[in-house]
Amino acid sequence: MASTDTCFHCALPNPAGSDFTVDIEGVVRSVCCPGCKAVAELIRDSGMSSYYSMRDAPEPGAGKPPEEQGEWQVFNNDDMLAAFADLDQSTAEATIYAGGMYCSACSWLIETSLTNLTGVHSADVNPMTHRVRLRWSHEVTGLGDILATLADLGYRPQPLAKDDSSRPEVAEQRTALKRLLVASLGMMQVMMFAVGLYAGDFSGIDADMQHFLRLVSFFVTTPVVFYAGRPFFVSAWRGLVARMPGMDLPVSIAIGAAYAASVYATFTRGPAVWFDSVAMFVFFLTLGRYLEMRARHRSIDRGAALSQILPSTTTLLINEKRTVVPVAQLAKDDIVIIRAGDPIPADGVIVAGTTTVDEAMLTGEAEPQARSVGEMINAGSINLDSEVQMQVQAAGSDTTLGTISRMSERARFARPAFVRVADRIASYVVVALLLIATAVALYWYVTAPERAFVITLSVLVVTCPCALALATPAAFAAAGSRFSELQLLITNGNAIEVLARASHIVFDKTGTLTAGKPALESLEVFDDNYDREYCLLVAAALEQSSSHPIAHAFRSDQVLPAVTDPTVHVAEGISGIIDGQSFRIGKVSFAAATSDDANSDKIVLGANGHRIAEFTVRDPLRLDAYETLLSLKHLGIELSLASGDNERNVAAVAESLGISDFRSNCTPQQKLEIIEQLQASGKRVVMVGDGINDAPVLAGADTSIAPAHGALLAQTSADVIMLGESLHPLVTALKMSRKTLRIVRQNLIWAVVYNATALPLAVAGLVPPWLAAIGMSASSLIVVLNALRLSRYE
Amino acid sequence: MSILYVLIPLALLVLGAAVWAFFWAVGSGQFDDLDTPAVRILMDDDKAPKSEPEE
Repeated sequence: MASTDTCFHCALPNPAGSDFTVDIEGVVRSVCCPGCKAVAELIRDSGMSSYYSMRDAPEPGAGKPPEEQGEWQVFNNDDMLAAFADLDQSTAEATIYAGGMYCSACSWLIETSLTNLTGVHSADVNPMTHRVRLRWSHEVTGLGDILATLADLGYRPQPLAKDDSSRPEVAEQRTALKRLLVASLGMMQVMMFAVGLYAGDFSGIDADMQHFLRLVSFFVTTPVVFYAGRPFFVSAWRGLVARMPGMDLPVSIAIGAAYAASVYATFTRGPAVWFDSVAMFVFFLTLGRYLEMRARHRSIDRGAALSQILPSTTTLLINEKRTVVPVAQLAKDDIVIIRAGDPIPADGVIVAGTTTVDEAMLTGEAEPQARSVGEMINAGSINLDSEVQMQVQAAGSDTTLGTISRMSERARFARPAFVRVADRIASYVVVALLLIATAVALYWYVTAPERAFVITLSVLVVTCPCALALATPAAFAAAGSRFSELQLLITNGNAIEVLARASHIVFDKTGTLTAGKPALESLEVFDDNYDREYCLLVAAALEQSSSHPIAHAFRSDQVLPAVTDPTVHVAEGISGIIDGQSFRIGKVSFAAATSDDANSDKIVLGANGHRIAEFTVRDPLRLDAYETLLSLKHLGIELSLASGDNERNVAAVAESLGISDFRSNCTPQQKLEIIEQLQASGKRVVMVGDGINDAPVLAGADTSIAPAHGALLAQTSADVIMLGESLHPLVTALKMSRKTLRIVRQNLIWAVVYNATALPLAVAGLVPPWLAAIGMSASSLIVVLNALRLSRYE
Repeated sequence: MSILYVLIPLALLVLGAAVWAFFWAVGSGQFDDLDTPAVRILMDDDKAPKSEPEE
């Protein structure tokens, strides 16, 4: 008995009228499809039902198994094993990318089920990179069996080539942790000795003991400075070479000078050492950097997006024999066979067969394109109608798809403009501080030479513009990671700032406000010999053999009549014989053999050149479109709708959503003009849309948002990508951006106030070095912690 | 107080051992995932397979 309207396993909406259920721990849950049912039952039967109570709320669609399982057995042969795994006598090690995992419970589920397999020694899952590191006895269990197990659990496994297993961020995280530990342990030890030394200053200390404690402090501080503090020196040097002195320069000077002076004092038995201040300073700085780095790493690893879209195996034709191979092994000039419904694994030219392909992923064109011998088809498109043979031209990252995803990766790692500006300002501040420090040193050298060094040191440390420099990037890094948890991927750092100030949003209709998946809206029967139910059944039966997106609108759970000799006519329709009668469904000209009807968007069912019924297939609105738009209005945002669709459809959508300003039949050029007019009247315009037609429009707006299922190209030019099925993240994005800007402002104010108060005190000689170190570090930590509040933002 | 001349170097030796152990642990990947272990304790994976819905 289905009680909820979303799938218990994958959180997608349950299709109307479907009734798949699964019994988990005594509660009957409804699921959306047989695939999810199978996965949920498998999880239950392996005794791992607690996965469901422990996992985070699933991203809709996460964990939904693909309709057709890959041919994992291919990976069981020895060649495959050698290609993907490091082999020992009896154990093999390999790294597998598990697409579709999204929380800690997933990694538990994967680890537990894999280690339950016979022959698997260990399976270490890294949820940050979605990678599973496997060790197993390859003579007992094949790699293919392990992949199949993962696929059965609803994940999309992809074995990674050997050299891909080490990720730069893992190495970075490990080094940062080691530095942090050295700095913290070192600081604690040195502080302990410092307590002894300070106590000695007050109550007297044996000269040998004092010397001994200083020597020990020197011994412990040295690795803190040269190991934990190394990044500061390196980056200060880099800044000097590039003639852009960063905030690491005064930091390095302060650390270096205080350390050198302390070493000198230790070996000449001078009056004072500052090892404790040095160690503490390095520790707090390292801690701040570490927190910032973790926030940065949390933004999801989308690097493997490419392998998500491509199939993992394909059928290769060698000397008239079909062999299934992993896509990773494809090379130029290989001939591959692509079955109907399969994704195309590489760029190539058709050498046999005719078909239509869905290129929506690349071009945004929802209408399937006819392709025949000699024409180019691209990786990432889907072969819809019939089997073709293709000669590979480019594979892997050389494909168009690969190029596009590289481009979007690069955009994501580029530093946003305001951070560059902040760096530039910081370099002026640094130069000014160095000048002030020199002046202070000269003044005190003349008036009280014995205090000059200590005071200059305090000035250098206390005024370090770390808080100033961290104020913006820390907030944006924290916001970025929270955004990705909220199903929003920021590809352009400027987007947050613009979103926070946005005053007007222009929506595209198809695929943005609507779901982009056609559904049957109405049916008109013209022939009295047939009733509605029968027409629907015939249509469903015929459309079964098509993988065209429109065919989904006809899906039925009823028992369908048998179709004899179903034939897909490329870009026309489908024909077949049912109950002895020959039927055709598709375009008017094809199904009814007349071309006088202008209603070409209708789908016609015909027999013997005679029209029986007409179906209207419509793209329904997204479930939460109305609520989302209402919330946006409450935020004070004005809304417009600009669509290339006809007047009637656009007006209907605009009315049901309460948008008063709408334009229909827009060309991309006109959409761009609409946006430019709004901008000319002083509005900050956000464009929400998908599809290639929108790419220039997206670029023309102040900032742009694209739903993730849209065309990949549109996403490349969009600044923010919405990953889920829901529109609501739009509202969250706006609120969150405003909050981020507020926090940046708080941080900047705090940094300025702190520096303005601390500087005169230090110049006057009222701040000892240890207090300066605490003050500076505390101000930076406050900035980072304030920024981290964003990662809890609901 | 001369015991300090022995105890402090001894403490430093222990410190060195601790740092070495930590470096080894980081190198073997034990700290790569700081999120899952917190949840793992809550999962009971010793539940018998095919658990009956009666409990």
